[in-house]
Amino acid sequence: MMRAYAPVAVAGVAAALLPGLGSPYVLSLTLTCLMYVALATSWSMFSGATGYISFGTAAFFGLGAYVCAWTLDWLPWPVVILGGAALAAAFAAGTGGMILHLRGTYFAVLTFGLAELVRHAMTYGEKQYAGTVGRMLTEVPSDLVVYYTVLALAVAAVAIAVAVRRSRFGLALAGIGADEQRAETLGVPTRRIKIAGFTLAAAVAGGIGAAMAVRWTYIEPLAVFNPFIGLQTVLIAMIGGAGSIAGPVVAAILFSLIAEYLRLQFPYAYMIALGLLLILSMLYLPNGLAGLWRRAGRVNR
Amino acid sequence: MAPMLEAWANVIVSGLIIGGIYAVVAVGLNLQYGLMRILNVAHGEFLMVGAYLTFWGTTLIGTSPHLLMPAVFVVLAVTGFALHAVLFRPLARVAPNPEVFEARGLIVSFGLMFIVQNAALLAWDADLRGGQGSLEAVRLGTLVVNGDKLLACAIALAVGGAMILWLRLTLVGKAVRALMQSPVGATLVGIDVRVLHPLVFGVGLGLAGLAGALISTFYTISPSIGQPYTVTALIVITLGGFGSVSGSLIGGVLLGVIEAVGVELTSPSLKMLLSYLVFVAVLIARPNGLFAR
Repeated sequence: MMRAYAPVAVAGVAAALLPGLGSPYVLSLTLTCLMYVALATSWSMFSGATGYISFGTAAFFGLGAYVCAWTLDWLPWPVVILGGAALAAAFAAGTGGMILHLRGTYFAVLTFGLAELVRHAMTYGEKQYAGTVGRMLTEVPSDLVVYYTVLALAVAAVAIAVAVRRSRFGLALAGIGADEQRAETLGVPTRRIKIAGFTLAAAVAGGIGAAMAVRWTYIEPLAVFNPFIGLQTVLIAMIGGAGSIAGPVVAAILFSLIAEYLRLQFPYAYMIALGLLLILSMLYLPNGLAGLWRRAGRVNR
Repeated sequence: MAPMLEAWANVIVSGLIIGGIYAVVAVGLNLQYGLMRILNVAHGEFLMVGAYLTFWGTTLIGTSPHLLMPAVFVVLAVTGFALHAVLFRPLARVAPNPEVFEARGLIVSFGLMFIVQNAALLAWDADLRGGQGSLEAVRLGTLVVNGDKLLACAIALAVGGAMILWLRLTLVGKAVRALMQSPVGATLVGIDVRVLHPLVFGVGLGLAGLAGALISTFYTISPSIGQPYTVTALIVITLGGFGSVSGSLIGGVLLGVIEAVGVELTSPSLKMLLSYLVFVAVLIARPNGLFAR
């Protein structure tokens, strides 16, 4: 039991010591890595296990970010983060009841549409009631506070994924992924389990959104509800291997590092490389990086 | 006609015209999904490529965009055959079941979307081009209609009608429909998937290119015009039902009118919000399309 948590703890401690050693640049790079570790891990926990591919991460992330923009001035920081997670979770629980009866491509397309709907609704609502679309964040917590918050969320996301995988709840999620009707017949309350898993994943994304919002200082719907956040999360999880826990973590770190070097200098080439990588991994590495080392393990034995 | 009524007639007619074009935007994607379960989200990007081919063709050679349309269709159809052979056939071979194929096919199309869109940005940069139109406004009774849009709508509807006839009357078309209804049964009576899948994937891409060519005759184009049309196509397909060509035609016209009337009643900034609202509402309430029995 403890063996599964040990690597998480070691990596967490190492990342926690980083601010004393690394430069601000290294710290900000690690922050991006941690953000995608949390997003991809929580995504895989639900979508990887059940096969319900969600492109809606951007909606949860953006809602979290807006909670931060609304409450940062008058609520303590931990409450802001919890508020972001809570609003995203509430939204996921509410919509989950309406959309989780749809399977496959229908569900995938619907989550994408829902995320875009939320973005447009937020743009319209803010224009109507606040007069402007964007919001300035003036009093932001220090970089160190943000770093430790995101680190805590990333460690929590991985720990949740490990804990869920070993629980009855995780088995139920995997059972839904393997054959939903059979799971239902065997007495799994599939509807409730799906909503719970969807909501849990959304809570992590909402918390991350609230924490990362202060990195922007200027919050606007196009930035925080950017559909690319949802896409990138899916891509990282799929390239890493959505059925595993270590796969998405490794992929998130690799991805953030590659993105850091390519995106600013060659934005178009970066996106083309991303597309190629995605296609190649689907063709030759359908179980992701995790499939690679699983295969290597088999050869060694 | 009373001025109030006339204003509304104008709104409805412009909605019908843009709706006819939406229909042809959606038909190709719908055929691909209906037959092969490939939800090609790069559809709009190929539309954008079709628009650029038309733009460069007319600028460099100096012919009318309408004469170029068959060529654009063929170029993109051939691209479609090639893409199917290189990407989707191997994907289908290794996928353990149709559900997994569908998920992986979706991800591969996202990859295609990134590649095509950014290659276009590299090749043609983000500038807006073309869109001046060549025809004069047409008078229909007291209504005044943009001539380029009207011609584009007529071509779109003719192509949509031709697709329906092709599927109903020709042997190949009947084979495609048989495969949509029952892949196993159709294969048993000797219909060859290895021929029809690439063919229909190519036709789907060709139709995307044609739609792009039509759009380039009256709107300005840029490498980022594709994605919104992918969304439009998805909404139309949801309205009309996945896999149904006549459903797409009706769905396209319906969306055009809904958008035009909705924007008239509220404000232009709500157009996207409205489209997504229709989309999400239909998917939740009637996932098999408005006309499903």
